[in-house]
Amino acid sequence: MLSQFLILLKKVINEGGVFKSPFRARLKNVMLNDTVFTAVDLELTSLDPSTTDITSIGYVSGLNNKVKLSSCGYHVINTTADLGQSPVIHGLTHDVLEQGIMLDKALSSLCEAIQGSVLVFHNASLDLKALDKVFRDYKFPPLDVVYIDTLQLALYQLNKQHQVLPNNSATLTVCRQRLDLPSFPEHNALDDALATLQLFFAQLQQLGVNSQDNLSVLLHTKAIGRYTLGRDTFK
Amino acid sequence: MAVIAKQVEDFLSTSAPFDALDSDIRATLIGQTDLLYLTADNANELSGSAPKLYLIQSGQFSVQDGDGTTRHLSEGDFFGYPSILEKRALPLSVTVDSPGLVYCFNADAMYALLDLAPVKSFFAGLQNNALQNHAMSDSNSMWLYKGLTDVINKAPVSIETSASIADAAMLMTKKKVSSLLITEDTKVVGIVTDRDLRSRVVAKSVDTALSVREIMTLNPAQIGGNRTLFDAMALMTEKNIHHLPVIDPSSTQPLGMITASDIIRHQRGNVLFIIGELSKAENLYELTRLSWQLPHYFAAHAKRAGDFDIAGKILSQATDIMTRKLIGFFQQEHGKAPMMFAWLVYGSQAREDQTMGSDQDNGLLLANTPNTQQAQYFADMASYVCNGLAKCGIKLCDGNIMASNPKLRLPLDEAVREAQQWVKSPTKEAIMHFNIYLDVRCAAGDTSLFKELQKRRAPLLQQKMFLAALVRQSNDVAVPLSMFQKFSYEKGRKQKDSIDLKTRAVALINNIARIYALADGIPLPSTLARLEALSEQSQLSKRDAANLRDIWLFLNRLRWRHQLENKVTDNCVSVGTLSSIEKHQLKAAFKAIERTNQAMVMKFSGGVG
Repeated sequence: MLSQFLILLKKVINEGGVFKSPFRARLKNVMLNDTVFTAVDLELTSLDPSTTDITSIGYVSGLNNKVKLSSCGYHVINTTADLGQSPVIHGLTHDVLEQGIMLDKALSSLCEAIQGSVLVFHNASLDLKALDKVFRDYKFPPLDVVYIDTLQLALYQLNKQHQVLPNNSATLTVCRQRLDLPSFPEHNALDDALATLQLFFAQLQQLGVNSQDNLSVLLHTKAIGRYTLGRDTFK
Repeated sequence: MAVIAKQVEDFLSTSAPFDALDSDIRATLIGQTDLLYLTADNANELSGSAPKLYLIQSGQFSVQDGDGTTRHLSEGDFFGYPSILEKRALPLSVTVDSPGLVYCFNADAMYALLDLAPVKSFFAGLQNNALQNHAMSDSNSMWLYKGLTDVINKAPVSIETSASIADAAMLMTKKKVSSLLITEDTKVVGIVTDRDLRSRVVAKSVDTALSVREIMTLNPAQIGGNRTLFDAMALMTEKNIHHLPVIDPSSTQPLGMITASDIIRHQRGNVLFIIGELSKAENLYELTRLSWQLPHYFAAHAKRAGDFDIAGKILSQATDIMTRKLIGFFQQEHGKAPMMFAWLVYGSQAREDQTMGSDQDNGLLLANTPNTQQAQYFADMASYVCNGLAKCGIKLCDGNIMASNPKLRLPLDEAVREAQQWVKSPTKEAIMHFNIYLDVRCAAGDTSLFKELQKRRAPLLQQKMFLAALVRQSNDVAVPLSMFQKFSYEKGRKQKDSIDLKTRAVALINNIARIYALADGIPLPSTLARLEALSEQSQLSKRDAANLRDIWLFLNRLRWRHQLENKVTDNCVSVGTLSSIEKHQLKAAFKAIERTNQAMVMKFSGGVG
């Protein structure tokens, strides 16, 4: 009984019933049908954001449910970092990475591509933290981003249906299967980014969100947030 | 240039016609392409936007394209192409039944590609709703299906029986031919060849002033001009002759001559070798030894699409020869038959579309009701032949449709009465039972007996009520496509995406051809021959008949390739193993069968399916 009350209270606070956040007001002015969404995916050497290194970056943009295939970007990073077990997953061995470009160049391309976009990640926190780290490492000026996490959107839907979530029920592949999206080659940064963007468009449809709606309608799913990359760069 | 995601490349490089493009041309196209998640919310935007070509990757949509009717589309289907082909905006309305991903190709990018032959013919094919069959016209072996009248290019060279040997030889020299037809009242009565002049005249010092009648071969084997080159080859190989007169089947007037060298000119691979060998077999052991080579022979030699077209025919001819051989062996042992009989074959052997998995379907037609002793002779013969065929690799029939079954050794009168019974009460069960007997051919014995049966049966089988019942039965089987034109697969198979092409498609065309042929009074059993022979009065248009023929050959090719490549004898073809264009063709084929079947229901049973 008490816990239910707490959940209700938390919900009221988060929905802005008590503390109306300026973020919500900002989102209210952003219409879905003229927002460019750019899905970004990083392939990393480990799952620990404080030590991980980026081996490749993929991104692709879309507007109004339409993916622009010409906006696809993919960079393999020339890194000598300890790859650990990661080549087993994404196939990027030292030989391949040696052909890549330097990370700061890739970051510049990424920054250009995401200008004016809302970012889309599947599992945003890991990729954001990894980006944040390299922003600081390479002394990039801080960048405010608004992002959407398709993993969180999936969990929002799943929690409506399940008390306890089944194992692996929120991986990119399984989420896509639930929405009848075709299978795709996993663990390539560009393909994962493209798959994530498609998933996001499908999730909007599943949520019943209309193209004339504004972004604030996503707030209650807790899948939309803001983040400052390189916040501490100059500290 | 932008990089390309692997999933995009994977999808487009396996989707006709883009699979035929060079990868850099495809890359340029992709750079100008959008991938839309099409939902009810944004579907109306398509109607207003500039013309584009759309290719569905996932989802299900009901599309009204141009002024056409509504089509239910899904994965792999295109829409919007009428606008692209006509280079002007045509109305397009899309209803989303289940949202999904749709590739949107720029009109300008497509205009450039339409100059490329594979792209152009692909969309022209979609536009005409026809099956694309370049593969067929390219085929090297199609010559085997040529009608003999198309093959013979010279008017017949003939001379009357009253002429002398010298006259005959002079005429042959003048006309530069190696054989001469000898006629009497314009009918062929004999033939003289170069070899005859050597062995029967020169070698024996016969007076060349004598009548040519003295040295000619009397009543030579002949063939009707309506038959194919393949039939001629089979006959020549079996009879071991090199010259075969071709006659007009109705007037029996000579039309020309087919020679072994004509055939060599047409032939590119000696696919009939095995038939020649079979007809030389002198005992059961030799026959079975040769027969068992058939599967290996096909596996080794049938490579091209055209080979698959004739494989069924070769196998049926081979089975015919085995049957004739076996009857011969039996008669050597047990003496001549006590009365006229005809050895009838049914089903796929009759239609000449046997595959490796086909079992034997046969029966005996007797001139009269046999007495006990005579009945025993035929029982022994039937059992010897059926078991012999089984030893040769033609499986015994599970349904016991074999001459060894006493119920299938009917005297002529009885067989006619049986047909009357079919027509009187064509219930579903009854049709299931006798459908197979409607495709029938005489493979051995006395053909005139069989012709008599057909003559007496034809008017019965032409009755409207009977045909309507057959149509209703045929309509019970649906083509394996869902409402949204997706393939529906066989349940409970190891291969999840397999379709039984025989029962779900080929059999439907066979039904259609059979019903129109019966209505038209055509006695031929082969599906292709039936479609070819339909008269001007037939209710099936020439165009539909030609289309069905192409589809039939296409399906047959797929199942033969499946059997040979996988060394199996079933007809369950896995859709995943087909090329992109074949998948499109297969879908188009199913749709066309469905349409023709529906039209048939309307024509014969007044729409009461």
